Amino acid sequence: MNAPVPVVRIVDDDASFLAAVARMLRASGFAVKTFASAVEFLGRPELDVPGCVLVDLQMPDLNGLDLQEALAKEGHRLPVIFLTGHGDIPTTVLAMRRGAEDFLTKRAPKADLLDAVKRALDRDSLERAGRARLEALRARFAALTEREREVLQHVVRGRLNKQIAFDLGIHERTVKLHRTSITTKLGVHSAAELTKLCMEAGGLDV
Amino acid sequence: MSWITIIWSMVASACLTLAAIHLLAWCQKRSKWAYLLFSLAAAGTAGLVFAEFCAMRAETTGEFGMCLRWGHVPFWVLLISLVGFVRLYMRAGRLWLAWTICGLRTLSLILNFAFMPNINYREITVLRHVQFLGESASVVAGIPNPWMLVGQTSLLLFLVFLVDVTLTLRRRGERRSMLILSSTMVFFIAASTAQFMLSFWGIDASPLRPSLFFLGVVVAMAYELSREAVKAVQLSDELRESEERMTLAAEAAGFGVWMWTIATNRVWGSERWHRLFGFEPGVEVGYEMVSQRIHPDDREWVESAVRRASGDRGDFAVEYRVILPDGTQRWVSAQGRRYPDAQGRPARMMGAVIDITGRKKAELEIERQSNELAHVSRVSTMGQLASSLAHELNQPLGAILRNAEAGELFLQDPSPDLDELRSILADIRKDDQRAGEVIDRMRDFMKQRKAERRRLDLNLLVGDVATLVRPNVEKRRVRLALETDPALPPVHGDRVQLQQVLLNLLLNAVDALDENPPARRLVTVRTRPVGAMAEVAVSDTGQGISADKLLRVFEPFFTSKPNGLGMGLAISRNIIEAHRGRLWVENNEAGGATFTITLPMAEGGDAK
Repeated sequence: MNAPVPVVRIVDDDASFLAAVARMLRASGFAVKTFASAVEFLGRPELDVPGCVLVDLQMPDLNGLDLQEALAKEGHRLPVIFLTGHGDIPTTVLAMRRGAEDFLTKRAPKADLLDAVKRALDRDSLERAGRARLEALRARFAALTEREREVLQHVVRGRLNKQIAFDLGIHERTVKLHRTSITTKLGVHSAAELTKLCMEAGGLDV
Repeated sequence: MSWITIIWSMVASACLTLAAIHLLAWCQKRSKWAYLLFSLAAAGTAGLVFAEFCAMRAETTGEFGMCLRWGHVPFWVLLISLVGFVRLYMRAGRLWLAWTICGLRTLSLILNFAFMPNINYREITVLRHVQFLGESASVVAGIPNPWMLVGQTSLLLFLVFLVDVTLTLRRRGERRSMLILSSTMVFFIAASTAQFMLSFWGIDASPLRPSLFFLGVVVAMAYELSREAVKAVQLSDELRESEERMTLAAEAAGFGVWMWTIATNRVWGSERWHRLFGFEPGVEVGYEMVSQRIHPDDREWVESAVRRASGDRGDFAVEYRVILPDGTQRWVSAQGRRYPDAQGRPARMMGAVIDITGRKKAELEIERQSNELAHVSRVSTMGQLASSLAHELNQPLGAILRNAEAGELFLQDPSPDLDELRSILADIRKDDQRAGEVIDRMRDFMKQRKAERRRLDLNLLVGDVATLVRPNVEKRRVRLALETDPALPPVHGDRVQLQQVLLNLLLNAVDALDENPPARRLVTVRTRPVGAMAEVAVSDTGQGISADKLLRVFEPFFTSKPNGLGMGLAISRNIIEAHRGRLWVENNEAGGATFTITLPMAEGGDAK
């Protein structure tokens, strides 16, 4: 499967700056999409397309921080880079605390801007990959039966087949059968591997 | 004793004397036509007296007829001049009636010479001698001439004319002496006509003597005219006295008094006036010489003020600089008024000048200080805007930088897209211009400068200031609404100072909203014309101002902000009042406060 091209979204009410920064990023080899306001940006459906957002902090109506908040509320995890004409410390702190990827002035050196964009795109693709893996993993766990999950709980706690059989009031051979079925469904070969997989999938209580 | 001789010659000489005196008076003052008319009336009366006297002494009917015949000439003069006198002096009487009387009388005079012996008799048949005043006098009888009615009608109409005049004068509420004069005329002329008729028809056996009654008229007229002359003398005395008093008062108050006769271009001035303009006392001065002493920068508008005053405006008041021959400069305040001649043309201008150098120096010093204060306050206001300005500058500078970088990247291409490069360069130029404008605006605002009054559109000013504060406003999540009325009249003022006031009010309004949730942070700037004033109101939706502070916000050093200087509003009010405007504050019913400015419309009205 071919991964879609990541798109750098730029949101700024200053048309002149918007055009200039878009032009520079395009010339640097990025796919770029421009928006004149936060409202216009949030109204678009293609928020799932990978990439990042470059947003002006000070805009009329919805400003950069509002946009960040709205994105988070919707559950979109696009990395946000803030641009500002003139940054002050309290706003920077607030933006960073909310998980801003970066905070740059509009006249930041080109290298800084490109680095920030690259970093954001990398992080986005990494996060997307991780999220995809997790999804797949969860799908695999979802294939387990109720009883198999119960058995798995005990297995990852390091208990022996005999103990599991006693606790669950079933035959030891049945436990063995369940374990084979679990390892087949999850595609692992050892108990250690199984434990690691469970931790990746989000803790032991699967 | 021959009383007739004595009385008639005395009357004649009295009349002639009066006639001579008033003729002389008229020669002195040609505009007093009443004097000439009176003089003619008196002379006419004298002639009538003489004719009467001759008639009484006539020995034959032929002689008597001739006397009566020639007596009509002085009587014609008398009647015409009386009609003229009444019209001119009393300014009453119907014009058509006056012309009819004169016409009939002239016709009667012509007919008089067409008939023999005269218009009164077709033939005189009897001449008798009667005893009258101890002397023998001639009395006649004969066949009356029916054309006599023309003359009689003119007399009757004259009586009607006089009665009408008397009533008009009464209605007009004229002074008593005038009424008495016209009533006296009515009485004596009625009496003289009656005596003539009685004597003519032989009912009264005494001789004809209507002239004596006319003496009464002449005396009454002379009395009225002499009263006027006496009053004129009195007035001129009073005038001289009041003139002396005024000169004294003007000298004591430091005023120089002047009078410019336009026709001769001569400027008369009091001694102090000569000193104020640096002329030797007693030197003859013309308008141009005075004009040369006015500071070249002031000359043109002082002269235009004088021109306007000599035109339809009527008066002027100006303050200007005078350069004395030794080069020293002096400020004067001058006032003048135009006085027209009888035709209503401007003939003279009079006025006063006072030295205001001391006051002007103090005023200029105060102005300089308040300009300096305003400047300091502007600089400190700019401090508040520093981050806002940095933002506004970084916007175009950032765009320039990004465009330049993009250009560099394009050039790395072996065959760069030239169209794209061209549009990059055009954008760079545009953004550079934008940054330049921000800097110019800021420099204008920060410059230490003299106030300069110009015609201004407050709507444009509001727009400029809104642009200046917008980044600051947006950062603080405040919504700024402009509701400008295009019908707002222009005002006359200093652009930077008025911008400063608006900026101050806007920043204050934004500050007042810090406690509000973002949804309720609204600043509205509204402009509208109110009569001959332009109004700008800046409203916020904050907490408003508590009653105890409402009156104190304009006091210097009064502040509610932790790091405020407390000068902003004091200076703002100072600036607005220097523009003859008003600045005040009220709390809004729906919460928050509104600061309102009114400024008078610029002269020349609503043409933008």
